[in-house]
Amino acid sequence: MAMRALLIRGGVYLFLFFILVFNLTPFFWMLSTSLKTDAEVHAIPPTWWPRQPTLEEGYKKVLMWTNFPRYFLNSTLVSLSAAFISTLVGALAGYGFSRFYFPGRSFLIGILLASQMLPGVLLVGPYFKMLAKIGLYDSHLGLILAFSTLTLPFSAWMLKGFIDTVPHELDEAALLDGCTRLHAFIRVIFPLITPGMVATVIFAFLLAWGDLLWALCLTTTDSMATVTLGLSRLVTQFRVIWPQLMAGSVIAAFPPMLLYLFLQKYLVRGLTGGAVKE
Amino acid sequence: MKTKQRSVDFTGYWFILPCFLLLLGVLGFPMVMAVLNSFAPIWTKGLSNFTLAYYRKLFNDPIFFNSLLRTVYFVGATVALHLVLGLLVALALNSAIRARRFFRVVAILPWTVPDVIAGLVWACMYDPLSGLLNDALHRLGLIASPVEWLANPRLVMPSVILADVWRGYPFVMLVLLAGLQAIPREQYEAAKVDGASALHEFLYITLPNLKPLIAIATILDIIWQTRRFGLIWVMTEGGPARATEILSVLAYRQYFKFFNFEYASAISVVLALILLAIGIPYIRAISRRI
Repeated sequence: MAMRALLIRGGVYLFLFFILVFNLTPFFWMLSTSLKTDAEVHAIPPTWWPRQPTLEEGYKKVLMWTNFPRYFLNSTLVSLSAAFISTLVGALAGYGFSRFYFPGRSFLIGILLASQMLPGVLLVGPYFKMLAKIGLYDSHLGLILAFSTLTLPFSAWMLKGFIDTVPHELDEAALLDGCTRLHAFIRVIFPLITPGMVATVIFAFLLAWGDLLWALCLTTTDSMATVTLGLSRLVTQFRVIWPQLMAGSVIAAFPPMLLYLFLQKYLVRGLTGGAVKE
Repeated sequence: MKTKQRSVDFTGYWFILPCFLLLLGVLGFPMVMAVLNSFAPIWTKGLSNFTLAYYRKLFNDPIFFNSLLRTVYFVGATVALHLVLGLLVALALNSAIRARRFFRVVAILPWTVPDVIAGLVWACMYDPLSGLLNDALHRLGLIASPVEWLANPRLVMPSVILADVWRGYPFVMLVLLAGLQAIPREQYEAAKVDGASALHEFLYITLPNLKPLIAIATILDIIWQTRRFGLIWVMTEGGPARATEILSVLAYRQYFKFFNFEYASAISVVLALILLAIGIPYIRAISRRI
């Protein structure tokens, strides 16, 4: 019996070792390639560890010779704006759904949840036409509005869940003190749902940061591109310069990585609609 | 809570107004336009000339049907692998192991990478001459000459699927791990007393407890995978010879590369209907808890 238990434990560790290798190899290769020279990348057979790790070829060139810093700035601006709009509007909607009963409430919640199912390719075409008509094509505002809205169902639903846990007596007390509903919301609810709002800000940020489709369809000028779009354009050039591309990827992957690790438990709760309680 | 009668209050509309204005503008209006556009060239000729011709063309078009089958293949394979790998890793992490926090972080790490960047990194590893994969296989004596992972129409789909599985399975793992940790210890203790084997414990305690979470993770994953675009676009742009052209890529190319707005809209509408059909059980399940 003890022998069998030991065997099972050994099997578990062996499996986890394989998972470790599988999960980390792409990270290793990305870092390794980003530290090589272009000449070394084309050496045959390929080297696994850079012979002389250097920042000059990958990092310096992608930062100095390409528009990458601009892409990074664009992504930061667009993602942050979308994240804050989505969270603010989502918190208001969450409060509306959590505290009030009005005709059509469950129908509207159904619409809200169903809107998450719509594929981007269905919406992005007409949205592009619409932006072109009102002169917002190739602008960041068009992207910000798109990302704010795409993440709204998640934000509203998640924040409704947080607001549900705040006792009604608290806002009622504020109303008795002469606050308006909006004041009660801002003074009483806002401070209490801060963790939820942090989670939705990060989630919306990540979605906007990782998107390619909308940025690809709604911008055209190189200086308007986001990081993912900029990087994807580097790969479709005639010759891919891997050290630069991987250096850019390392930099672009860094902010989401930090945020995800911080956010994981809220994400699971939000995405599964509260079916998981951690 | 339930017994307390709550009165109708129209103030709620003010709070949800901004949300629904945005939804209307960015989702609602484009959706209606896309549906109309799939019946008529509304952007050039307005609302006249309604016709079913685009759908007729669609259902007689082998390119569309092949793309549909490819989508089923891509989504089916990735979701199945996400589930199997996610469940196995969740079970391993839930057992009594050392350094659990470390393994947990490592297990989640791929999911933190945007799918576009995951695609780029795997494309770099798949590079026939300078990539890691061919070199590793060559050193192990498994291949004699470089394999063209992304240029060979027969290998490209499995290659793209592998890259996607790497990035996608940690989410399923996270959900299932949370589910495993929520199963009451007493159930296992009772089973131990009754002399149940590990397999029986898994089949009669673990799986039934996980069932609702497996269902939700599967539906969410199917929806995300059907909409997947960035990873495939940066790795292959749907090629070679359409071998990885799933519906989202086909619709994008028809709209933005060939300007067949009506045809592209018809493809997207079909795609949306499929997604809504899959997503309705999920919405029902969540709405029931309101």
